[in-house]
Amino acid sequence: MGHVPAMVDPVSDERLKLRCKRLDAALDELTRASRVAHLSKVPRVLDAARQVLGEPGGPLALRRRIVSLTEAGIFRGSDWDYPENLVPTLARQALTSRDPATVVIEVLSLLRLLSVVEDDYPGANVGVEQSREHLVRVLALNLSILYGIQGEAVREQGEKLAAVSRGSLQFILEQLGFDQVVDALIAEIWRILEQRPIQVAPVREMITQIARCLQDPEQDLGASGRGAERLVSSLYGPTRACGEDPGLATYAERLRAMDAVGLQGEVMGLARSMHDTGLVSPYHAVAISHLLESDDRAILLPDILGLSSTGRDCLLCYQSLVQTLIREAIYPDTCQSIYGLALLLERGILYQPPVAPGLWRQLKVRLAPQARERLRLTFGEALPPETHLVAGVLSVLGQPLGIGQGNNPTCQSARALSMWAYNDPDYLLQMVIWAARDDEIVMHFEGEGISSRGETELVRPLLGFDLDPVSLVVVPHLDRIYSQMMARCVGRAEDPHCWVNPEFHGWWTGRGFQINVDVATGKLANLEDFLRHFFASYHPYYNGVQPLIHPQPAGIAVTDSAARFIGWHAITILRVALDQHDDMRVYFYNPNNDGGQDWGDGTVVSTGGCGERYGESSLSFAEFASRLYIFHFDPLEPGEPEAVDGPMIDDCAARVRRTWAVDRLPAPLSEPSERSVG
Amino acid sequence: MSNSKQAINPEKGYVALLGWSLNAVEAADTFDRRYVVVAPEWAEDYCKEHDIPYVAWNFERLNDRSMEIAETLKDMGVDVSIPLFEETVEWAGAINSVLMDKPRLFGQAMLLRDKALMKRRAQLGGIRVGIFEEAHDRDDVIRFLKRVNQTLLKLEGDPDDPIHLKAFDKAGCLGHRVIRTPDEVDTIPDEEFPVLMESHLDGWEFAVEAWIHNGKIAFLNISEYVTLGYSVFVPATPDLEKYREQIREQIELLIKTFDIEFGFVHPEYFVTSDGTMYFGEVAYRPPGFKVFELLERSYGFNAYQGLILAFDPKTTDEEIKAFFPKEVVDAKNYAGCFGVYPRRRVVSRLEIPTETEDHSYFESHELTPPLEETVTKRTAFGTHWGLVYFQGDDAYTMRDLLKQQEELDFYV
Repeated sequence: MGHVPAMVDPVSDERLKLRCKRLDAALDELTRASRVAHLSKVPRVLDAARQVLGEPGGPLALRRRIVSLTEAGIFRGSDWDYPENLVPTLARQALTSRDPATVVIEVLSLLRLLSVVEDDYPGANVGVEQSREHLVRVLALNLSILYGIQGEAVREQGEKLAAVSRGSLQFILEQLGFDQVVDALIAEIWRILEQRPIQVAPVREMITQIARCLQDPEQDLGASGRGAERLVSSLYGPTRACGEDPGLATYAERLRAMDAVGLQGEVMGLARSMHDTGLVSPYHAVAISHLLESDDRAILLPDILGLSSTGRDCLLCYQSLVQTLIREAIYPDTCQSIYGLALLLERGILYQPPVAPGLWRQLKVRLAPQARERLRLTFGEALPPETHLVAGVLSVLGQPLGIGQGNNPTCQSARALSMWAYNDPDYLLQMVIWAARDDEIVMHFEGEGISSRGETELVRPLLGFDLDPVSLVVVPHLDRIYSQMMARCVGRAEDPHCWVNPEFHGWWTGRGFQINVDVATGKLANLEDFLRHFFASYHPYYNGVQPLIHPQPAGIAVTDSAARFIGWHAITILRVALDQHDDMRVYFYNPNNDGGQDWGDGTVVSTGGCGERYGESSLSFAEFASRLYIFHFDPLEPGEPEAVDGPMIDDCAARVRRTWAVDRLPAPLSEPSERSVG
Repeated sequence: MSNSKQAINPEKGYVALLGWSLNAVEAADTFDRRYVVVAPEWAEDYCKEHDIPYVAWNFERLNDRSMEIAETLKDMGVDVSIPLFEETVEWAGAINSVLMDKPRLFGQAMLLRDKALMKRRAQLGGIRVGIFEEAHDRDDVIRFLKRVNQTLLKLEGDPDDPIHLKAFDKAGCLGHRVIRTPDEVDTIPDEEFPVLMESHLDGWEFAVEAWIHNGKIAFLNISEYVTLGYSVFVPATPDLEKYREQIREQIELLIKTFDIEFGFVHPEYFVTSDGTMYFGEVAYRPPGFKVFELLERSYGFNAYQGLILAFDPKTTDEEIKAFFPKEVVDAKNYAGCFGVYPRRRVVSRLEIPTETEDHSYFESHELTPPLEETVTKRTAFGTHWGLVYFQGDDAYTMRDLLKQQEELDFYV
């Protein structure tokens, strides 16, 4: 293995020996346990392993025993028993868990993969390359653990347990080499940026970590780290005049001293960097404020926003509004909204009559204490909450598909916000005003008003505040209304989404409704007919070559990378079109922060490279149909169900039956509800 | 891991384990007797999955259907049933009276199940017990408290000696309360009555585990409590072991008084400073605090397999002799455990104290992360959150170490 532990002091060496003795005794007991009691012996081994991992040299000691541990069945009966199905993104949750056993089993699982990489250990059922890739991604996604910059998470977990995660990852990093990890991290960042999320805080954090490594003279990255510069500079020095990250005040001075040609160059540079990565540098906010005060603003504003002729035209028509928006909402702390503003102008939505006056109202609105408090808790007090909300509105209107639900089980509300921003922007502005100013939204369900202040048993507090300002203010209201609408459908014969979706999302939601799960039993029902209608309504070859007009809510049975059912999830179908290979694809919006997911059985959701626009996810039509369980359609435009090819339907149906519905064929299961994953 | 069961000796008995205990099942599964687990339905999935012989039965109060399980086991050819928990002691008595055709076994079990009856029988047999009485309401408790303290010649204003309240039919510390003043009587909830009241004995409390074969003691262990309800270790310190002969005489008296032919008893005694033994109570099942597990760590024999031997009517004297080690001298070391109670009102996670982890006697623990952040206030003695195990060569180091754990936070 080639790893020589550094000189250890005798006391800690003694401690390590004592702990290793305990581990060996526990391991011996596990090895000897009969089938009856095997599982009951596992906790003792995990706890002994935890003690070893907490000591200097501990991860190495564990690495030396990992084959014995694996063969003694330490992973048996857990998800970790199938290393081929483990997902790198889930490691973080385990490594930061408060439950010591969860932390340890994740570390042991990583050490097992390390033994595959180093010794080609065959007992793990995964190949060397797959193992290396997994480890590298786990390290890349957990640099904050590696470098101990977690703060709150450590407080929650306890320093002793946090040290176990940190020490183990450091050991694995040393074994693999830092250069490999950096490349994976960069790839991960680009993959996320490709989806153009509104919330870029996690990406910023990762880039900041890379920046630190680049500056560390002890890290020799060698040939790796290509592309790192571009990411780091997009935040810390996008142009010549701020390339060495001189600080905002110095940059402002430099701008003041610049001649017209120099300024023009700066402005173009900032815009290029922004559109290249979707990230905005705080220097960009300084420059845009500078322009507002300069005489050349009419000429340079379109350039600093990087606008095409469409956006440029829009800006010219609404100069005073746009300048006021910039003045009120754009600061270094809210710089990311410059990108939202640029895209808002590009979308041309200001030409819709209610949008510009709606934005003027947004600029003047006074917030209710509840909204104020929520914004203050998340964004601090450096800027007024109104500023954050206007900035948030710019982002949402510019990037409707960049909205994410954060760590909240509120996929329906995030989906509704996104749909309105995309399709009905003035309605969205109205919602924001009601929530922010009045702290109440009233929607109608079958003729009856439903208030977001109404009683509901299903109130779920927001779990995380990792949301954009608009979601933060509006989602709690939407969630309460949605719960009440669902409650009014209890006892009806059909799935409640049949009625709730059109009333909640908007008139354009098809009143026709298809579901392939029997509500009472949870069993698969009506599958072939369901698929046939879906093809006929949505597939241009069977619906008379009609592109989808309005975005439509739909329900997905989400599966993991082993194609096992995880839960029901709300998405929006946006478009159906041919990709560059002439394959018919469904392009959709997934409120779940990261659309790129492996759903198993060969179905991998694509977020780029197959004709997606920023923020769209896509699958081939058949793959998409194989995970669909609810869709809406216009009953007056049913297409030609009888024209759909039989074999195609059979193929989709087979995919359904061997993936998420595998347990739904004979025996009844739980009642389906989109809420369960959200 | 071995998946194959131990070869069964057809000459030996077929035993039924009453109640679900994983360690007992594993012991039976790796032993040479046929066995079957009799447990509530929730154990079924585990038994099926792990190929464990199983009969479903809910041990509620004895009722009209009680004969059913006895008949079922009899038809299966079972020779004896073994109670693993206090709640199954009377069932074992009822079942064994059918299996062995000895009706008096049922009466014996009822005697061992009711603390008030048990004390009376002990008294009749010439065993020394403290003052005790049954209480049906709070007034009874106040009267008893006053009378006990009058007997002790206390004057008005002297601090009263406490009395102890115990449920008639619960194991160990469950439902055990200490009452010091009449005010405290009000804190007893109605549903705890009736209870058994006992005077407080200022002595050294300890427990005994004795395996009995043909009316004789096969193995006698003395368990030393460091603090009642918190910690225990085996073998006892020499300070307590010096009473071994006297204790053996007490157990023989107990066997005679309760007419016990086979099986296992777990009595508790007090020894006062002048060496007098007071009987506390006796249970006909393994102790709740994991003394069986400690004995295996200390002596290397499986106490549950010893239990099976002691109950099986087909066990021979030679088997008994070969199975059990010699008390104290055959112990490889001292083994103890400590029951953890959270000391804070609000806890967020489990963290083994460094002092504990760094001690060479620390072996392992069975603690699990907290499910709720707020710790329920303890009434009576309550149940600990899990055990921490220790092992080492010196009895006094063990005793002090266990005591020390009481001052440490395992939940923070």
